[in-house]
Formats: sequence, structure tokens, C-alpha cells
Amino acid sequence: MSIWNYVVTAHKPTNVTHSCVGNFTGPQELNLIVAKCTRIEIHLLTPQGLQAMLDVPIYGRIATLELFRPHGETQDLLFVATERYKFCVLQWDAEAAEVITRAMGDVSDRIGRPTDNGQIGIIDPDCRLIGLHLYDGLFKVIPFDNKGQLKEAFNIRLEELQVLDIKFLYGCPRPTIVVLYQDNKDARHVKTYEVTLKDKDFVEGPWSQNNLDNGADLLIPVPPPLCGVLIIGEETIVYCSASAFKAIPIRPSITRAYGRVDADGSRYLLGDHNGLLHLLVITHEREKVTGLKIELLGETSVASSISYLDNAVVFVGSSYGDSQLIKLNLHPDAKGSYVEVLERYVNLGPIVDFCVVDLERQGQGQVVTCSGAYKDGSLRIVRNGIGINEQASVELQGIKGMWSLRSASDDPYDTFLVVSFISETRILAMNLEDELEETEIEGFYSNVQTLFCHDAIYDQLVQVTSTSVRLVSSTSRELRHEWFAPAGYSVNVATASATQVLLATGGGHLVYLEIGDGVLTEVKNAQLEYDISCLDINPIGDNPNYSQLAAVGMWTDISVRIFSLPDLNLITKEHLGGEIIPRSVLLCSFEGISYLLCALGDGHLLNFVLNTSNGELTDRKKVSLGTQPIALRTFSSKNATHVFAASDRPTVIYSSNKKLLYSNVNLKEVSYMCPFNSAAFPDSLAIAKEGELTIGTIDDIQKLHIRSIPLGEHARRICHQEQTRTFAICSLKYNQSSVEDSEMHFIRLLDDQTFEFISTYPLDQFECGCSILSCSFSDDSNVYYCVGTAYVMPEENEPTKGRILVFAVEDGKLQLIAEKETKGAVYSLNAFNGKLLAAINQKIQLYKWMLRDDGSRELQSECGHHGHILALYVQTRGDFIVVGDLMKSISLLIYKHEEGAIEERARDYNANWMSAVEILDDDIYLGAENNFNLFTVRKNSEGATDEERGRLEVVGEYHLGEFVNRFRHGSLVMRLPDSDVGQIPTVIFGTVNGVIGVIASLPHEQYAFLEMLQTNLRKIIKGVGGLSHEQWRSFYNEKKTVDAKNFLDGDLIESFLDLSRNRMEEISKAMNVPVDELMKRVEELTRLH
Amino acid sequence: MWKETREREFGNIRPNLFSSRISKSRVSSIRLSNYKEIVSSHRGSVNSLQVDLTEGRYLLAGASDATVAVYDIERATDYDGGGLIAKHKSLFVVNKQHEHGHKYAISSAIWYPIDTGLFVTGSYDHHINVWDTNTTHVVMDFKMPGKVYRAAMSSIARSHMLIAAGTEDVQVRLCDIASGAFAHTLSGHRDGVMSLEWSTSSEYVLKSSSTAQSSSAKARAPQKKLANGNALKPHAVCRISSQVKTAKQRSHPGMLSSHDRATGHYGVVTGLKVTEDGMYLLSAGSDSRLRLWDVESGCNTLVNFETARLQSSKAIQMAVSQDSSLAFVPCMTTAKAFDIWSGQTKCTFRGHYENVNCCWYDALNQELYTGGNDRQILVWSPSKSISDEVDEWRKEQAATVDQDNWSD
Repeated sequence: MSIWNYVVTAHKPTNVTHSCVGNFTGPQELNLIVAKCTRIEIHLLTPQGLQAMLDVPIYGRIATLELFRPHGETQDLLFVATERYKFCVLQWDAEAAEVITRAMGDVSDRIGRPTDNGQIGIIDPDCRLIGLHLYDGLFKVIPFDNKGQLKEAFNIRLEELQVLDIKFLYGCPRPTIVVLYQDNKDARHVKTYEVTLKDKDFVEGPWSQNNLDNGADLLIPVPPPLCGVLIIGEETIVYCSASAFKAIPIRPSITRAYGRVDADGSRYLLGDHNGLLHLLVITHEREKVTGLKIELLGETSVASSISYLDNAVVFVGSSYGDSQLIKLNLHPDAKGSYVEVLERYVNLGPIVDFCVVDLERQGQGQVVTCSGAYKDGSLRIVRNGIGINEQASVELQGIKGMWSLRSASDDPYDTFLVVSFISETRILAMNLEDELEETEIEGFYSNVQTLFCHDAIYDQLVQVTSTSVRLVSSTSRELRHEWFAPAGYSVNVATASATQVLLATGGGHLVYLEIGDGVLTEVKNAQLEYDISCLDINPIGDNPNYSQLAAVGMWTDISVRIFSLPDLNLITKEHLGGEIIPRSVLLCSFEGISYLLCALGDGHLLNFVLNTSNGELTDRKKVSLGTQPIALRTFSSKNATHVFAASDRPTVIYSSNKKLLYSNVNLKEVSYMCPFNSAAFPDSLAIAKEGELTIGTIDDIQKLHIRSIPLGEHARRICHQEQTRTFAICSLKYNQSSVEDSEMHFIRLLDDQTFEFISTYPLDQFECGCSILSCSFSDDSNVYYCVGTAYVMPEENEPTKGRILVFAVEDGKLQLIAEKETKGAVYSLNAFNGKLLAAINQKIQLYKWMLRDDGSRELQSECGHHGHILALYVQTRGDFIVVGDLMKSISLLIYKHEEGAIEERARDYNANWMSAVEILDDDIYLGAENNFNLFTVRKNSEGATDEERGRLEVVGEYHLGEFVNRFRHGSLVMRLPDSDVGQIPTVIFGTVNGVIGVIASLPHEQYAFLEMLQTNLRKIIKGVGGLSHEQWRSFYNEKKTVDAKNFLDGDLIESFLDLSRNRMEEISKAMNVPVDELMKRVEELTRLH
Repeated sequence: MWKETREREFGNIRPNLFSSRISKSRVSSIRLSNYKEIVSSHRGSVNSLQVDLTEGRYLLAGASDATVAVYDIERATDYDGGGLIAKHKSLFVVNKQHEHGHKYAISSAIWYPIDTGLFVTGSYDHHINVWDTNTTHVVMDFKMPGKVYRAAMSSIARSHMLIAAGTEDVQVRLCDIASGAFAHTLSGHRDGVMSLEWSTSSEYVLKSSSTAQSSSAKARAPQKKLANGNALKPHAVCRISSQVKTAKQRSHPGMLSSHDRATGHYGVVTGLKVTEDGMYLLSAGSDSRLRLWDVESGCNTLVNFETARLQSSKAIQMAVSQDSSLAFVPCMTTAKAFDIWSGQTKCTFRGHYENVNCCWYDALNQELYTGGNDRQILVWSPSKSISDEVDEWRKEQAATVDQDNWSD
């Protein structure tokens, strides 16, 4: 790999951090706005459910998200603040259907320490000011003027240093905040302050309340007429106002989110850490609060945000499980739950660990993640591309074409599958036992190659061979009419619709026939200057049986032409350029837009937007799908039309948001494909590949496929063992019966196909699994699972004891072979030179696998290395060991065989708090750190001095904005050795927000080119809210902020493909590179993920 | 740390809370390091300690025998105790023999804040020297009107390169490295300036404190000066002494009456330290009192620090932990850690044989460095569980030594 890295998101963040409801897109439209850390999604509430309106990236991690409505406005504005102290106010532009920035600014300060408990951003209910608590001891105020515009911000000193929550109170003549804080003695209190804008200071507020529940963590302001505030604790809920104080005890729980049900604020939904949803009711009489009531409604995912939409429908956003749309029923179901889940939205976060495997052994990587937390823990299998679920296959060599036919025009299912070979045509049909068997259609020529087949109207079938066109009855299967090619000419290519046949014979003759009841009529004959290479009359107009246009690809002048039917008048001629002839053309229509697709002999595909009324071809785009000739065919799945491009890299072409998308199919090489929708195999495809005919169904047409395996417990580590075809995980189950943390930890063995638990090894009390590895040792042919654990004693700060357990899988069971006690938590395990390398607290320890006299095996410590604070993350390569320390960045150790010792070779002296490390190549190491940055360091073996050699030089820096838990070498896509992208090494990462990303190491030439493109894109694509991309990607921690270096943002670069043509041209002009070239190079990159 | 690491990986605690919690728990457990030793090259009392601000790697120490030395605190020069105890010897020492070396005690040795290419020493021989670290040559020399008590450079300044110097003279001088001349003199003190600190929030704000004449000393408060490079006349932004007298305290109603009168220190202000966040200023006086000032308002926060005897004859160098929760103060032969908000003594570090002069807190490793009249530089670090192994090794060593002794 290289130091020039390209970072791209394969799976966007799915962790819902914030959500709110309001009239954002229109005065009458109710919207749900969801923040997923670095993205904002805007949904519209419709009677059919939630309808996505917009999904935009934000150049920042969203810290607060609030809807508000300034005086005189008819719809809401959105206030967004990011963790890097930028804020913006967004407004909906209904005409362009996008958000526009109404205000923006920077709220960072030189003084003050960033708050530990997260940033707070609140808006006065009467819209007088925005309040921000970003630094301990400071409260920043951004006042509104009379017109609803923001004025200059100022700070007010806040005496309370440990602030837990701040909210604005409703119904106060002056803006008043209520502050929940903790004092030096860990007691919690609330206090109110009035903000006086004139003096820029606080005035003691109307009331305060001391000594609350020790777990009080959340304030809910109550709107008029009741006003006041609810204080949610772990054991009590208190209502507090100037005049009233009511409290009720609750079952111990930590409330993580709330949602207000009624506008008058009498009912609230509370979601706790176990995913239980409660309804809190404020009872009141004549606007006086008389008490509180709480009722359990049911269970949801562990909520991070709750938004009450309408009609008892609630959005439950989750960080630890799938987000849900739920309905609250009036009556409980059989289990006593009022909650009915209407919809689930997949969330991969938090990805704590993952492994890259190839379960189907097709060369296609899949990622299996440990996702979710607490009860919502699960494994997720993430796979790129579209899979074919094979249902039947026959060995058949030399297939030259395939078509499916029906036995009657009104039959909904296909019956026959016509398979053409070089000198014969065979017909397969479904028999009564739902088996595919060979049959005959008497009217067809079966001893020659078929060029084309199609169903025709009046219960007829059409077969085109090189000599004739045969019209056959599909009921009697007898020939009804035949049209012969003119003497001396043979038919080269042909196509047909239900009522038409178009064919080309040698010498450039184009012949158009129409199909009648038992008769073929030659309607028109045209002579072209060159031979014809391919043609298509797929009907894209209103009549599905009749096409008014014909597309024809030509030899010699390499052009594609559009003719009108039936008169065969040339409408358009488009030269393709180059020397490669078109091999397949297709007229098709996606989402109401007509396209002409034209595939070339070298695996390139051109697409044009086709104007069906005048035949004009516009918006030419060229992509490379493979290296072999492509055969295009349409098929439909889930009521949408897609195109299958059969080649050495089969691809499905589909359309989303009026944009053509290409998704690879997880098959090696496909020569022909035809849809085969039989009664036994509905919605199936027949696929000819490598001497085999396969019938299978196709996955949903989308890029990433995610399969969930709910575990009901929290999986923390995973690894795969190829030899035994199993996964092993370290997991833990929380005991929900009490608030006291009680957990049980397990090592579980799963089958890698069914994902069922096949064996479980329970760990001791207080023992936790910390690391897992599948490895083998020198002098031992067996493979083992090694598990590192820690004994976490309640009275100890740091584990001082742990174990390394070595298991073998025997008869599908985990058998403990050896165990070794350690002096601390085993944070990491690695296979190393046929030995086992463990990171135990601050020490790196190497163990040998020794044969004892009695024939049993044991781990024996060989050597170790001190000098870390906590060696959390370790990777090895050869004799090199790369350690990611808790707070001391990356160090490089080397194992010396002769001395049997581990020594430090070099170190990065920056103070990075690490979260993951990976070795990119012998000299370059990749790290992720606590402030959401990525960086690379390089070993400097050629340094002149010891000092230089002992220092890992930082060569790349980048702000990812995601907390990376794990890097793994591997790829999500099938690697084809002959393609350019196939040579690019990649690393996959998984993050807390559920992002799966890819880091690709590029050659320098490509990097330089893309960097130029990125610079130009920054000028064209403006960040939402006016946030700067350059600032967002700059490496940022407490000590420094420096521009990103040697990393490129693939998400920005790939958004080039979403630009309109004229903006692309702007960039092409600025870079002096043709648009097609730019598109080709960017599209290539999209194949990395 | 184990628990935090686990909670962080699934997003249950925020990364910044993670690091501050771990730093906090580590700093609360520091004691005399059992794995790191600095081999002092000084033959006089160590007066000044500073780790460089850019890499956090090089410890600069100035001592009374006119030596200044730099130690690499990350990379040990050799090991002891079976590889478990790292010894850090000085990378270089400049002493009186050096052609440009100081003649008398070095009171203050500081790094150039932008990189480690330069450092600055202030000495009782009336000179401030600017050194090139790589060649250990003096590149600039400022002649001061009297003994230099303290020199300081702003850690955040980007637009100036000023050394603020507090000397026997009543004026604070700003020495400009860029021009090699005095940029300003700041008047306001009525006696020599013993301690000064640049603000950590604004690059133009400097805080200084002065000695008071021994007998007639009335309370003298620390004072702040604005040294604005653009303005011709520097002017004081506020004077804590006057402010405190007039400004009624906003809160803390139940404080002792004696505190209401307390305007500053009775006696000499011997040390100043601004907190990392730039919001508070800690001062130490020869009256053995510590005071915490709110920088913005100039008010005493009236935190009641537990009494501890402080050295009164000499300036002391205090340190504050990164999250401003602990203050490390030399208290005669010990150093003490005070909780800044409650004033309670959290920990007492006993190890020096004579008075402690200076503390430096290394936030990257959560380590404390102290220098004292016993010429030692001691490292106080979060305990590591290798202690068992070190002890074992020591025992073995002791056993062998004992045997040797017996065999004699």
C-alpha cells in the first residue's frame, strides 16, 4: 500500500443521534428530521408512512439539532451545531427541494475547557435567544433581533462547573434557563437563571431545588399552561416549578430519551437503557399540577431519541439497535405491550468488531459485524453487490443465446426456455413435477442456431434463424408462417417484439416484418451503407407490444442509429468514437426517462438519454463494466425494470433518483441471461455461465445487502475459522432484573452458514472476554481459537488478572485445550511466527506453544516488552509488531530471533489516544484516534541518526469524523485481477455510528489527479449550512488543527457523478480533462466499495 | 481504564470524556515513579523545569549552579532493574565552563513555545540568553537591569515573540526575539517582579507579581498587564487588588470574615500559574497562602486552600493539571496536590531531601516533575502494576548484594 490514501464510505452512518418533528418543508407539512451524526435526513409524514425527502451530509458531527419558529414565520427553521463549534440555521427551499443556509457562524472560544458531558444547544421557546453550553463555566448566548435575525454572540459566566443539563423554561417574561448540575460533593441540584440581554449577564432565577436524585440527568421543560420542569432521575421523577413540587418513585432505570406527546405537555414518552418505553402523565386541575403517573407501554430498541409524530405513531431513534417506527395502541396485546412496531430501520452501529470473510468462496468479501449493544446486540452480514440465489442448475456447454417463451399470450408465467447452441436449439420446459426437462416445439428449427425468439400476439411464437423467420402457434406448436431471407443473404442479427420483427442480413439490409394472426408481413426493407452489428426494438412507448423506434449498431463507422418504425427512416446517427464496435444495444425506460444503452466489444457501456418524440440522444456517458463484450437484457424485479449486462463482470443497471446506478452481480462470468418467470420459480432468471445453466432468483436491487442475526446479547469480538467453518464470538448478556450491573460473559461458537450457536463456553464470574483469535502454532497442525480475558473485580480499578484460553473445535464443540493465567487484561491477541503474541495491560508478551511430557500442550511465556501505558491494539507483520497505545500513539517493536527478545524500534511521539491500528505495508502504519482522526506514520529505516530512525514520521492526517473501532485488510467487492481497481489494496473500517468505510491506497499519479479533482469539487459543491469541507477534513485535536494530508475524501469525489452536466463541464474546464475521462475515473473508484 | 475502554467502543462514553476520565484517574494515583528516573546533571538546586510545548518530549531544567540541561523524557538513555526502570540522562548540559554560560544561578529556563529549536534562560547574572538548542550557542543576549527572577513566553502567541522578564527592577521588560531589543517596559509594580505568566487565553495579556519590601509590606495582589504590540502605551486591564476591595462578592455568603478583607497576599507573591483553560489564576504568597483568582473579573474566588508552609525566600513554580482540577505546589520539602475547587490537599509528595522549588505537570503522560534544592529532579507518575516485578527484581538484587556483603 502507499501513503496516498482514499477514504470512502461504503455504508453510511445509521446511528440516530437526534430527531425532531415540525413543519419544516411547508406550513402544512409535518416532517421528521433525523440526524445520524454526520448526516441529516428529512422525511415527510404521509398517510402511507414516512417518505424520504432529502438526505444530506453535514461537514461536521452534529452536536445539537433543534427546530424553532421565529416570530412571523409560518414554518420552522432548523438549528444545527457541530462538535467543532460551528452552527447554522437551515431553511427549506420548496422550489429547489433543498435546504438553504439562513445563518451560520463559529462559536468557539479561546478560553474554557470543552464540557465533558457533551455540548448543549437550546432555543428559547419564545425565540428570544439561542443558548449554548460548550465550555465548562461558560454559557454562550446568541440573541435574536426583532426580525428573527441572529445578533452577535456573547458569553456569560456560569458558576456551576459540572453541568448535566440546561433547558429553557416556558412561560417566563424574561428568557430563563434551568440548570441541572453536580457540586463538588457529587450532589445534584437545579437552579434557574434569567438571562438579561442588556447587561449580558445572569440574574438569579425564580426558584431552585437542592439535593435531587443522585442519578438525575435529564430535564424536560413543560410548556404552558403548566410550565415548570420535569427532572428525570434514576429512582425518582420530580416536577418542579416556582409554586409546585411533585415527585414519584420509579423502578430504577436510566432514562436516555424523551418525547413530548401533547402540545400542552401533559404526557411524555420516556425510553430507558433497557429499551422499555414508559408514558409519564402530569395530572392537573385548573392548570395546577396535582401529581405524576407513570405507566409501562412496552419494549422498543434502546432509544437515543423519541419523536412523537401523529396519531399515536412514534419514531424511536436508536444508537444501539435498529431505529423503529412504532404505533401505540389503545389496548395491550397478548403480552401486555401497547407497542406495535410498524417499521424497522437498519442500524449497524455500534460496530465494535468485525471480520472479513468469503463464506461463498467466490472471491467476494463479506463483512460480519458485531453490532448493537445491550439487548439489541446482533451480528450483521454485510455484502456488496447483488446475489443470485441459485435454485436449479444444469450442465450445458456452449450456450449462444437464451429466451423464455410462454405457452399462451395471456399466461402470466413462462413455460419454455429456448437455449441456442452453435448448431442446434434445445427447448426446456417445466413439467408437471416442476422439473426442467427437454421438450420440443415442432414448428421450430432445432438443428440450427437460433438468433432470436419472442412471444407474439395471437398465441404465437417467433423464431429467427439465419435463413428464416418462423411463426409458430404456441398452443399447437406448429408452424403457421415462415419468412425466408433473400437468396444469397443470411440473417446475422434479429430482434422482435410481440408484433414486430427486425432483422439484418448481410450486405447492410435491414428488414422490418410485422406479425399478424398466422402471417408475417415484410413491411419495409432498407439498405444501409455498412453491416449491422446489433439491433433492438424493445418497446418503450405506451404500447408494450409495439415499438416506434429501432436502435441499430453499425460496423465500420462505429455508430448507433435510431430509425422510426414502421417506415425505417433514419432519425439520429451517433458516432461512438473509437474502434470498438457496438455489440449490444437496448432501448429502455427507467423512472419515466428513456435511455439508449449501447455496449461495446471491450466491456464499455455508453448510455444516452433518448427523446422518444424526436429521437435525439443527449447526456452521453461512458462507463467500463468489464473487459469482454456485453449482452444487455431487461428484466423486472419487484415491479421495476432493470437491465442485466452479461459479461465477465455481470452488472445490474438500475435507476434511483433519476440516476443510473450500476451494481455488480456476485457471479464470475455470465455469457447470457434471460428472465424466466415460471410457476415453480417465480421471478427467476436463467443465467448461462461457464458451461452451466442456472436458474435463480435475484436479491433486492441495491448496493449493500445486510442480513441481521439478532443475538439478544452484546457481541464484542468475532473471528472466523476457515477450517471448521465456524465463527467464535465473545459476548455478554446483561441481567436486566436490577440496575446493578450484572453481566455474564460467554465464548460462543456459531456455524458460519446458519449462524446458530453450536457451542458455548461460559466464562467465570467477573471474567470478560477481551480478544479472540483463530490461529495455529508451529509444530502443530491443528487450528485453535485463542481467547484473552480479564477478571474485572468490582473493587479493582484495573484488572490485575486474566487468562488466555486455547480452544479446539471438536465435533462442533469448543474444547478447552490449554489455559494460561496473565497479570492483567488481554486486550489483544495475534498469531506471531507460529507463537502467540498477547497485549496484557501495559505489556506485550510472547508465548510459545509447548508440548509437555504427557503429550498435552501449554502456553509458555518466552519474552515480553514493557513501556506502554495500555497496549490496546496490536497488529503484526513478519517480525514487526505495531502497537496502538491508550494515549501514546503508535510504536513499532521488533522481535529478535537470536536473542529471543522484543525491542522497540521506533515510535510516534505525538500524544494520540488510539482507537485502532493497522499495518498498511512494511513501512506504513495506519491509526485511528480518539478525536475521530485518521493518520499514517512511516518507518524511517534510512534515517541518518538513531533519533531519526527511532521516530515514526507522520505522513498522512485526516479528520474522518467517525470513531473507528477496527481496521481489517480486505475488500467488499469481488476482485478481478485484470481491472485497474483490482490492484488497489484496501482496508475496511467499522465505526461506532455504523459506518463501514474503505481506505484504498492509490498510486501517486492517480492520487495527484484526484486531489486536483477534490480541490475543484470543493469550489463547486458547497457544504450544507455553509460549512467548509477543507476545515471539516482537517486533522483536529486539543493541541492542533492541521490541513488534511495524503488522504482524500472519496465521498466528495464520488459526488462528482451526481452533478449536473454543466457543473461537470465547469470542473472539466478547470482541470482541462474531458468530462468523460473524469467520469470514467471516478466511476472506477466507486467500484472499490 | 478497562471499563472506559469498553464503554467507549460502543459509544457509551464520548471520546473526550474518556480521555479526561482516564487522565483524571491516572493523575489521582501518581506517586514516586517506579519505572522512570531522571539522572540529574545539576550540582545546585533545580529552580526551573519545563517540558517543551510542541512535542511534550524534552524537559528543560535550570539550576543554581548555572547549569541548564535538557532531558528526553520519552526515550530512556538506559535501563535498570532488568529493563523495567528507565533512566533518563541529560541530552546535553550547559554550565559555567561554556563560553556563553551564565555566571550565577539560573532562575528560569523556558522553551521557545513554537518549536524546540530555541530556549531561553534567565539568570541572577542580569542576563537573559536565548539559546539555539541544536548547537547550544547563545543566539541572543538581553542585558537586564538586575537579577532575573523569571522569564516567560506566551504559549499561544502567534503574532509576537516576546519574552517577558521579571527582575529586581520594578518594571517588567518585554524582550523581542525578532528584533533583539526591548519592545516595552511595563510599569505598575513598586518592587522587583518575582513571578509572571502569560495568559493562556489572550496572547497580549501578561500576569506578573512582585516582591514586597520585607518589613513594610502591605498586601500586594498579582497584577495583570496588557502588552499590546499595536498600542503604544500598555495599560493594565485590571488590577486585582483594587477590584477585590470594591467588588462585592457575588456568592459564597458563608465565608469567613477574614476572607472578605483578603485582597491578595500578605507578603511576597512567590508564584503564579494560569489554568490551562485560561479562566483562573493561582497565586502563592510568602504568607503561605494560595489564592485562586477569576481572570475575567479579577475577583478572588475565595477557595479556602488548606494551609501549607510555602517557601518564602524564593520564587516557586507551580503546576496545574490539564483539566484544572489539581494544583501542584512546592511546600518546603514536599510538593502537594490541592483540589482547586475545594482547596483540600489531595496528596503529598515526599521524596526530596530539601526544599522543592519547581513543579511541572506533563499532561501527556500525567506525570509530575519536581526539582529541589537537593539537586534532584524527581518523576511522579501513575503507578504501574509492574511494581511487583520490579520489587521481585529488587529483592533478587538485594539478596545477591546481601550475599556479597556476607561473603566479604
